[in-house]
Amino acid sequence: MKYLGFLLVIALTVLLGYAVSIPLGPLPPTVPLLDPNQGFWQNMLSEDELAEEEINLSNLSEPVQVLYDENLIPHIFASNEEDLYRVQGYVTAKHRLWQMEFQTRAAAGRLAEIVGPVALELDRMTRRKGLAFGAELGLKYLQEKDPELLRLVEAYADGVNQYIEELSDARLPLEYKILDYRPEPWSPYKSLLLLKYMSDMLVGDRDLEYSNLRKILGEELLDKLYPQYPQDLDPVIEAGHSWDFTPVSISRPDSISYPSDAIVIDPLPQPEEGVGSNNWAVAGSKTKNGNPILANDPHLSLNLPSLWYSMQLTTPQHSVKGATLPGALGVISGFNEHIAWGVTNATKDARDWYKITFQDENRKAYKYGEEWRPTQFRVEEIHVKGEPVFLDTVVYTHYGPIVYDRTFRSNRQDVNFALKWTAHEGSNEQKTFVLMNKAKNHGDYNAALDNFTAPAQNFVFASKSGDIAMRIQGKFPLKWEDQGKFFMDGADPKMEWQTYIPNEQNPSTLNPQRAFVSSANQHPVDQSYPYYVFDNSYEHYRNRRLNNRLREMSDITVEHMMALQFDDYYLHAAEALPVMLDLLGDHQSSNDKAKKYLKELKDWDFYADPGQKAPTLFYVWWNKTFNQIWQSWHEFGVPVVTPSNYTTVQLLKNEPEGPVFDSEKTAALETASDHVRKGFDEMLEAMINWENEEGDYAWANYKRTSIQHLVPQFRPFSVQNVFTGGGSGILNATSGRHGASWRMVVELGDEIKAFGIYPGGQSGNPGSKFYKNFITKWANGEYLNFDLRTPGDNGSVLFQTTFKSNP
Amino acid sequence: MKFISILVLSTLIVVFVSPFLTYWMIMVLLGILSFVLKPGKWAAFWGGGLGMGLSWLGQSYYLSASTGSALPAQMADLMQLGSSIYLFIITGVLGFLLGALASLSGALLRNLLKRKPNNIYKGTIY
Repeated sequence: MKYLGFLLVIALTVLLGYAVSIPLGPLPPTVPLLDPNQGFWQNMLSEDELAEEEINLSNLSEPVQVLYDENLIPHIFASNEEDLYRVQGYVTAKHRLWQMEFQTRAAAGRLAEIVGPVALELDRMTRRKGLAFGAELGLKYLQEKDPELLRLVEAYADGVNQYIEELSDARLPLEYKILDYRPEPWSPYKSLLLLKYMSDMLVGDRDLEYSNLRKILGEELLDKLYPQYPQDLDPVIEAGHSWDFTPVSISRPDSISYPSDAIVIDPLPQPEEGVGSNNWAVAGSKTKNGNPILANDPHLSLNLPSLWYSMQLTTPQHSVKGATLPGALGVISGFNEHIAWGVTNATKDARDWYKITFQDENRKAYKYGEEWRPTQFRVEEIHVKGEPVFLDTVVYTHYGPIVYDRTFRSNRQDVNFALKWTAHEGSNEQKTFVLMNKAKNHGDYNAALDNFTAPAQNFVFASKSGDIAMRIQGKFPLKWEDQGKFFMDGADPKMEWQTYIPNEQNPSTLNPQRAFVSSANQHPVDQSYPYYVFDNSYEHYRNRRLNNRLREMSDITVEHMMALQFDDYYLHAAEALPVMLDLLGDHQSSNDKAKKYLKELKDWDFYADPGQKAPTLFYVWWNKTFNQIWQSWHEFGVPVVTPSNYTTVQLLKNEPEGPVFDSEKTAALETASDHVRKGFDEMLEAMINWENEEGDYAWANYKRTSIQHLVPQFRPFSVQNVFTGGGSGILNATSGRHGASWRMVVELGDEIKAFGIYPGGQSGNPGSKFYKNFITKWANGEYLNFDLRTPGDNGSVLFQTTFKSNP
Repeated sequence: MKFISILVLSTLIVVFVSPFLTYWMIMVLLGILSFVLKPGKWAAFWGGGLGMGLSWLGQSYYLSASTGSALPAQMADLMQLGSSIYLFIITGVLGFLLGALASLSGALLRNLLKRKPNNIYKGTIY
């Protein structure tokens, strides 16, 4: 009896002890999550409550001092770069480990490993796009050509790894506890992968859609609806800039045959509308204090933990501060004692597609001119949580990986498209930032940029010595007109990219006469630039608003520049609404609700401030009208892209009776006015519904800006309904899910004054008080002080840590 | 009396040793404690259970109160529990069950090894 009782109890104890240690269905293991000493309860502690005065870190040559200011921004004081980046790796991992690992997993196509089969399709796509392939080539490039930089990247990885090694269960980031996995060691390869992740986030192409449209609309209508240059061109490099180089010649093949069939494959995910950025610099002659002022605000998907992590990085030779990307070395957008710089995306059709003709079923060779070239096979092993390993064979040609084939997103056996992308070439973007961090003048800035390949960026520059500059840097293939706008025949060698535009011929400007430089993702240059420039997604509104303001401003102060970053002027509405009201005529004029809405629209000053109602009315009316006009585009049955808002407004204004507005399906002749009126009726209905169901339709309530945790299912860790203005196409580009992910303004006087903010917080831990503490300030257009600190400067210090090497 | 000792000593173990060990090692320690102190079954069960359960409840409450973090409410939301109170209760109950069973196992094992009186007649018959 005694034995039986004991055996029963011990069995029960072991069983319970075991049951609470394993995942139950989709739930994570119970006790590791709930134990107050190891589980999520521990993640309630904020970083200042866990401050350490001293940390042992191997491989340091000298002790390193880290001072955290009141916002938990670390200021690292090291005696050389290798120590500096080792500690940058350690400190970043301490605050953002889960995020940096998660993002590189996403870039490597390894999400299914932790979340299961739901991510398998996404992982296959990522791998077929060859992001990991690109990062491997990048690493090979460093090993062969830049061992010195590789040493720094290795030091960073070592810093991250020393943190991971000493990581206790209690300090494990919350997301690991919930998703039940552990961090893996970091490596230089992962730092490079992160930069590929950025490339992927920022680069799109519409070659598939254009190929289809070319077939459906014909070239003439295509050129009219998707013009290469807009009427109101206000490019990045000031119009009329004289190009002082002899262009490399390129000849367009005499005969071009495009693959002719309409293509029904799911296009690659595109960067979301609203992904873009602003940057500018004004010369001392335009500012109150006579110092150049530089501003930058990259617009990206609004996420928590924030994409950016602020830091100051100091050695005896340089001191730089600004926004870093967790996982990459140095500061990405920032300033030092001599210069400031910032980035915006410089999209320019960097991806092209080639149709591949295989010799036979085995896919071992493909046609290229008169010969058959051998392919290479890369077998992607995708581990899937809770399921067997998924093997995906990707065929590589000399162009690049075949993304679409019979096993992936194609319902036809003979459809094979290879992707050619500059991100697949060995390159050294990391070097650009390491050099830029130390740059002292315009020459250093240019030297740093020479290493940058992808994703192409507009690099703005200003220096204490008074220079302002802009350079559009990337590795740009030299294309003949229309090359790469459509899918091309990979069997025809004439379709190849022939060469690249030399770095020194990339568009750039130094101290232009207008005394400012600026970029907002618009066309890079005017028609005088000797090379073919094309992209579907160029901005038409933010750039003009920005340049109009900068042209008319003088005696500029830092506060003016902050106000401009937060400028809510809705230029698209200002141009479209009068035309729409005109076309509406007296439609619905006896409807009370319509009268009320129309009055609000007519009284509007075109600012999309959060409490305004008119922006909502315009936004809904515009979108309904736009859909009315381009409805038939959705009925083509193949992927296409609609003309831009800008082009649509031009058509409404200039040819309201034109044939594009007429539907072929009806006998009657439709004009612009019909679409505007139908749009208005739909808006009326939608707004009445909204008022009944949601109540207030003020702009902020309608657009509902939310800052989402990287795992969308973790809703409680997101911030919903942020009260803030702006929107897509507005300088303050804050829409529902996108917006200024970082705002910085720097005045380069004798003493540099700097300000910055981003919608998040320094900590990646949702339980920490530093997780989202910047959001309210960001939403109100306020900034944090970002002045450089010296080691002795002890004002508003949260805590300090000294890193010492084990003897 | 044994109950009080078990309760106090289990609490001390959970509070001071837990940060360095995982929960199952703590369970082994609680088992050893009962094995050594030889409490009765009920004293072992309740002493170990309340020791670990109240410690866990107290620790989670203390962390929550001292940091003011909104995390318990967010976790409860994520786990669709409605209120963070349930998280505290579940944590306490789990601690209780693990502590109680571990402690009882130790006591029963000791009971098992209790030297059996093998000579009920006292004295020797030659």
